[in-house]
Amino acid sequence: MRKLLPLLALLPFAACAPKTDNATSDTLGADSARVVNVYTHRHYETDKALFKRFTEQTGIAVNVIMADDDELLSRLEAEGQNSPADIIITADAGRLGLARQRGYLKPVKSAVLESAIPAHLRDPEGHWFGFTMRARVFAYDKSKVKPEELRSYADITKPRFKGKVLVRPADNVYNQSLVAAMVAHDGTEKAQAWCAGVVANMARAPKGSDTDQLLAIGEGQGEVAIANSYYIGKLLTSDDPARQKAKNAIGVVFPDLNGHGTHVNISGGGVAKYAKHEAEAVQLLEFFVSDEAQQAFAEGNMEFPVKAGIPAAAVLQGFGAFTPDTLDLSQLGLHNADAVKVLEAAGWK
Amino acid sequence: MRTWREHLPTALLALLVLLPLLVVATAPLHTEAPEWAYVGSELLPTFLGETAALVVRTVLLALVLGVSTAWLVAANDFPGRKVFRWALVLPLALPTYISAITFADLWGPTGRLSLAMAERTGLHVDLLTPSGLAYVLALVLFPYVYLPARAAFSAGMSDQLDAARMLGGGALRRAFRVAFPLAAPAIAGGALLVAMEVLNDYGAVKHYGVRTLTAGIFRSWGGLYDSGSALRIGGVLLLVVLLLMLLGRIADRGRQRGLSGKRLRPVPLRGVRRWLATVWCALVLLASFGMPFATIAIDAFREHALRAALEFLPATGNTLLIGGLSALATLLLALLLSYGQRRSRSRFAQLAGIGYVVPGAVIAIGVMTLGGALTDLSGIVLIGTVGLMVYAFTVRFLALATQPLRAGLDQQPLALDESARLLGASPWRTFLRVNLPLLKPSLLAAALLVLMEVVKELPLTLILRPFDTDTLSTKVFEMARIEQWGDAAMPALLIVLCGLVPVVLLDRLLERGV
Repeated sequence: MRKLLPLLALLPFAACAPKTDNATSDTLGADSARVVNVYTHRHYETDKALFKRFTEQTGIAVNVIMADDDELLSRLEAEGQNSPADIIITADAGRLGLARQRGYLKPVKSAVLESAIPAHLRDPEGHWFGFTMRARVFAYDKSKVKPEELRSYADITKPRFKGKVLVRPADNVYNQSLVAAMVAHDGTEKAQAWCAGVVANMARAPKGSDTDQLLAIGEGQGEVAIANSYYIGKLLTSDDPARQKAKNAIGVVFPDLNGHGTHVNISGGGVAKYAKHEAEAVQLLEFFVSDEAQQAFAEGNMEFPVKAGIPAAAVLQGFGAFTPDTLDLSQLGLHNADAVKVLEAAGWK
Repeated sequence: MRTWREHLPTALLALLVLLPLLVVATAPLHTEAPEWAYVGSELLPTFLGETAALVVRTVLLALVLGVSTAWLVAANDFPGRKVFRWALVLPLALPTYISAITFADLWGPTGRLSLAMAERTGLHVDLLTPSGLAYVLALVLFPYVYLPARAAFSAGMSDQLDAARMLGGGALRRAFRVAFPLAAPAIAGGALLVAMEVLNDYGAVKHYGVRTLTAGIFRSWGGLYDSGSALRIGGVLLLVVLLLMLLGRIADRGRQRGLSGKRLRPVPLRGVRRWLATVWCALVLLASFGMPFATIAIDAFREHALRAALEFLPATGNTLLIGGLSALATLLLALLLSYGQRRSRSRFAQLAGIGYVVPGAVIAIGVMTLGGALTDLSGIVLIGTVGLMVYAFTVRFLALATQPLRAGLDQQPLALDESARLLGASPWRTFLRVNLPLLKPSLLAAALLVLMEVVKELPLTLILRPFDTDTLSTKVFEMARIEQWGDAAMPALLIVLCGLVPVVLLDRLLERGV
């Protein structure tokens, strides 16, 4: 009898295994109930609301798994051709390039997507499409810094800002993609010199989030911070009493990267290689570049729309106009590993 | 031949749990690691160094906090002792990442309390540093030392302490020369758990900018796009843990069995000592639980109305359902393993617990790789099912369930089974009618420990869950990722409340001598 005991351990697994989720069972009856299965790294109320609108407009149900992009790619790898995913969405062009390189995406043609999205914000063969932008900008203390002092990314490495620069750790993907863009434009040596210059000027060891860097300006712990436009927008519209000091203290500039413009990264998505609802997936991507969705991303989530003619949120417009770097964004993925090494070599923790 | 057959059932069960970890351990055989030369030479030495520094600091601090408070409440009487005795377990209900972020929010460079303090006193505190993280982690994790230390002091050493007192040993001498050495194995076991928790943490180390091995896994994976190197660092982590477990075994060798069962009677403290004891315990409790809990609760009700808690009802239900199923599955497996180990003295059972130290995201890769392979073979989809999630939690938390069960079974002499057999009971009947009823408190303790951990767990839940399934920890994550701490407070509060119930129950059980 005791020999049978081990089998008992399998019982809970056996009981749960056949209980597959509704998404996979839906794939069989795709005609009767139209669905699209989304793997996304984006975790915003705006996105949830847009999925709901999409279902109202098209009758297509949206099933979502929200998790970190690296884990999502691992899940795709493990699932192989049994993957239920139809669309993969990340908040980093580098990861989209990686997903393409590993063969998780399939190219699609769509006149709607191609006309709405500028060429440098999508994959030339249609593996992925960017639908919003974020800029890596400087926030500065208005009482101590004149915006003219901060025209280019290189300006914060000048002696003027010794002990005044605030920035989060090197593990952050937006720091990595900024440095990857520098590597793509000017090579590793110059990128490393810039990182070393930033490290030499840091007000403190890198720590905390982007928002923490902005709050530190509010407390006079530094004069300039490298931060994401999106977090600045959130801070400037926050009514949290703890954020008011920073809110009143900071100004924003769009720095230039050696004549190429301001570094931007995108949120974007592509159709999964083994998508069982390809038409619905393309429809959802097209919905993301509709005027309605682009406005929602801009107003609700403080992101820059990619579609011409859709204005950014008022608070972002207040920073002034900017020229985004038109670097082919697949370059970010190709140089991300270089960026990590450059940051480490420069002593950026 | 006989030994081989006796080992087989436990070995097979252990293998079931170890499979996903074998995927990690054998990474060099089946994955490419293009960046390994760089990771091994440039990153690994630094990351190993920072890991060692953080583990040593945290464990030392946790020992100071855990042993001192345990000794005070177990052996001494002072105002508030009865409350402190159970309340000092409460920090276990706080997930490490939530506690760490709350501390940074209070005592970081722009923390609410550090700013207020700087304004009044000119003194600027910044806990958002590598050594600050050691304090924060020790404050969350010290109950892992406190609980076994308190149990060891309370039960089993009253004769020795009486003898020491009659020989004229002062209070401090009795503690340092008699009680602490006698309790050392139990304390070491707790310290090992603290070290393991520090090793597998990612959320807190990332926020504080400390580069541990687990941070190295994520830098290789997400930064260098090299999951092969990430798995290899996972392998290094497993080696570190094996080393720690070996140390634990050496410590275990001196473990006392059959000490007197008399409960220690607390001696009333006199004079100023009496109040010093109260103040110290109150400070520890306030810093470890009172402050973070109050902060979360205040934020939760500033951002949400009370009825907003209802919005999180489905997520709370999912959390408890998945936690309950996982607790049951883990309990069953742990029971079979410990029972098998008792009969065969096999060491597989202990090895099977090693998943406790592996970061959730790494276990997820192992579990998903297995799940994907099984689907290719059988056509049954496993990834994204509750079944696979429950399996993953079993792999991760088995050690927590085996420990109390082993301790419980150790208290039942084999002669008990033999008597039952002599009286004609079958092995099965012996197990059901003799061993199992005696084990009830240990079973409950094991289930509660697992439930408490699953409620707090994030990375496995996040990636293995079915479509459109939220738990409380994924809700916290959604808000925290976009740096909206205020919005994350309500689900965080619910996690703590869900965790408090098992924590308090657990404490009651341990009081009864499990």
